[in-house]
Amino acid sequence: MIICPSCAHANPDGAVNCEACFTPLPIVKNIQCPSCGSSVLSDAKFCGHCGFNLSGATAINALPDIHAENAIAPPVPSTEVFPVIPISSAMSNSLPDATTEGDSAANLETNSFGEVPTLPKFTDIENLLAAEEQSLPIQAPANEPITTSASEPISSPMSVKTQLQQFAASLLHVQTNLTIEIPAHLPVVHIGKPNTVIPPDIDVSGFPDSDIVSRIHADIRAEGGSFFFEDTGSSNGTYVNNLPLPAGNRHKLRAGDRISLGKGDKVSFVFQLNP
Amino acid sequence: MSVNLTCKLSDRVLDSSQGSSQRQLAIAVSAGAAVDGNNAPLNLCLVLDHSGSMGGQPLDTVKRAARDLVDRMYLQDRISVIGFDHKAHVVVENQPVDRIESIKAKIQSLKASGGTCIDDGIKLGLQETSKGKDGTVSQIFVLTDGENEHGDNERCFQFSRLATEYNMTLHSLGFGDSWNQDVLERIADAGGGAMAYIPSPAAAGEEFQKLLKRVQAIGLTNAHLILQLSPHVRLAELKPIAQVAPDTIELAYQTEGDAIIVRLGDLMTDVERVVLFNLYISPTSYTAEYPDRSEIPILTAQVRYDIPSQAQINALSSPVAITATLVHDYMPQLDPQVQNHLLALAKYRQTQLAEQKLQQGDRAGAVTMLQFAAKTALQMGDSNASTILQNNATRLQTGTSLSEADRKKTRIASKTVLQPPPNS
Repeated sequence: MIICPSCAHANPDGAVNCEACFTPLPIVKNIQCPSCGSSVLSDAKFCGHCGFNLSGATAINALPDIHAENAIAPPVPSTEVFPVIPISSAMSNSLPDATTEGDSAANLETNSFGEVPTLPKFTDIENLLAAEEQSLPIQAPANEPITTSASEPISSPMSVKTQLQQFAASLLHVQTNLTIEIPAHLPVVHIGKPNTVIPPDIDVSGFPDSDIVSRIHADIRAEGGSFFFEDTGSSNGTYVNNLPLPAGNRHKLRAGDRISLGKGDKVSFVFQLNP
Repeated sequence: MSVNLTCKLSDRVLDSSQGSSQRQLAIAVSAGAAVDGNNAPLNLCLVLDHSGSMGGQPLDTVKRAARDLVDRMYLQDRISVIGFDHKAHVVVENQPVDRIESIKAKIQSLKASGGTCIDDGIKLGLQETSKGKDGTVSQIFVLTDGENEHGDNERCFQFSRLATEYNMTLHSLGFGDSWNQDVLERIADAGGGAMAYIPSPAAAGEEFQKLLKRVQAIGLTNAHLILQLSPHVRLAELKPIAQVAPDTIELAYQTEGDAIIVRLGDLMTDVERVVLFNLYISPTSYTAEYPDRSEIPILTAQVRYDIPSQAQINALSSPVAITATLVHDYMPQLDPQVQNHLLALAKYRQTQLAEQKLQQGDRAGAVTMLQFAAKTALQMGDSNASTILQNNATRLQTGTSLSEADRKKTRIASKTVLQPPPNS
């Protein structure tokens, strides 16, 4: 039974227009979010869980060539369709990926897991090492995570599937010394405060001085094992290592990067790769 | 002379996994143009109110409009004129339009006095019209400016229904602002005709001409739509059938066996009548029986009609079958034309609900419904109607009540399309 929102007439199931006043009825049908798989109302514009743009997905779906190289794509097609993902899958294919060689099952596993490989890629690790040698004398023990995590998927590919959540990286809030895990299953992690448009995955409203943070402040994107930081048009700006990050620019995060939301270094995080 | 019958579903594609889907079916019916270009002769009856309130300029303009109307009729047509105040009398007996001057003189002799008794006028109009109804298209125009103070409204509606049984059509014209739009609308709806609103005496001539043009285009009369629903299809429980073009009318239906019969009345050659059906389709039983078929039958439609020019009754058009396509991965493919018909009905129903709420004293509810209706009108591209509806909503919101003229304008705005969409 569907109650008409404008005249309160009780319509039978399957009604599209109200029988009494012919106002179009909300279609109360649940669909699966193509990005995170949680159930959302079919007329929703964004997924309430991960913020995936559902109205954009159908439009992009029309592009035919995206699926070409992903014939073994998981059954939820739109995962690959999200505008950022094709780049990442192209990247992961062209890179000398340790996991793909000899073990395609492992590759399939990670693919179906929502396109977020849970371990740093070989080249990324090299970058990481290079970066840390260059500039950051931060305590992160770079060698340990590489050895442990790189060996993991090869030895037991099934274990990836059974785990519900894996945290590959985290943010350390400097002012309170609190660690926030970055949810690994989301390709895009929204940072901000509660709002009606894009609900934040990392809600900073509880932190002191959070009034300088915009409700939709920034995104962290996980692509090909690396994390990118992006300001999504905040009012007070974002600073990475005390340098302003203009809206629209992406910053590739390295362990130890200091991110400040708003001016004055009042809400700051240190990016950490988890052991 | 033939019938043009086209049927369209609001969405031809059905989700086979959904237990029950709602679809609207728009059936457009019009008369094919006559072979010789001539329709059957018209048998027109004017039922004119000459109560005291019509005195002065109103009655003068109505008389002038009626005389102009006589001038525009063809020689083979027939006319009769009834005048009524608190009782009715024959002004012009049913006769061919050949002695124009004497007919005009009789119309001119009408004097304003007395009260208003619409039902007596209609009754006498039916009697006069029936004298010339063979081989003609019988039409009655009822014009009044006031409440039916000496008569009984229920009797009016009974006479309207009686008119349709005798294959006559009743149109109602409201003059000025003190008539009752509910009564006149029901007279016109029950009589199968149109309702017109004459806001000022000056507009009388124009409205008369408009109505005359409409009735002169009538090619076929007494049309009935006959539907045979498939077993897995049912009509909606609440008000499933309504005409949406040229004006919006809630239609009653009868069932004979498993057939559904709806009376449409006259069919015009230039304007098509569009009837909207609200259906629920449950494909499960059909797919269980024929799992390999993707086409699912919905219903067959047929029109039964009379051809007055050939004195033929109960002619039948060839049946039209309507099917839908069953798919697994359903994506809506809405038909834009049917969607527009849906909006037309939505506009009418929403305005009706607003008026009901206003009568119940629920002012806020009425404002909301009027705003819905204004939005619907805007979606149709009918910005004139939208302006009227929105203005009324705003006026209600600010605490002032609607004037009688506003209520009439609202009714007309909801019932008809004031401004056709730019693309048609």
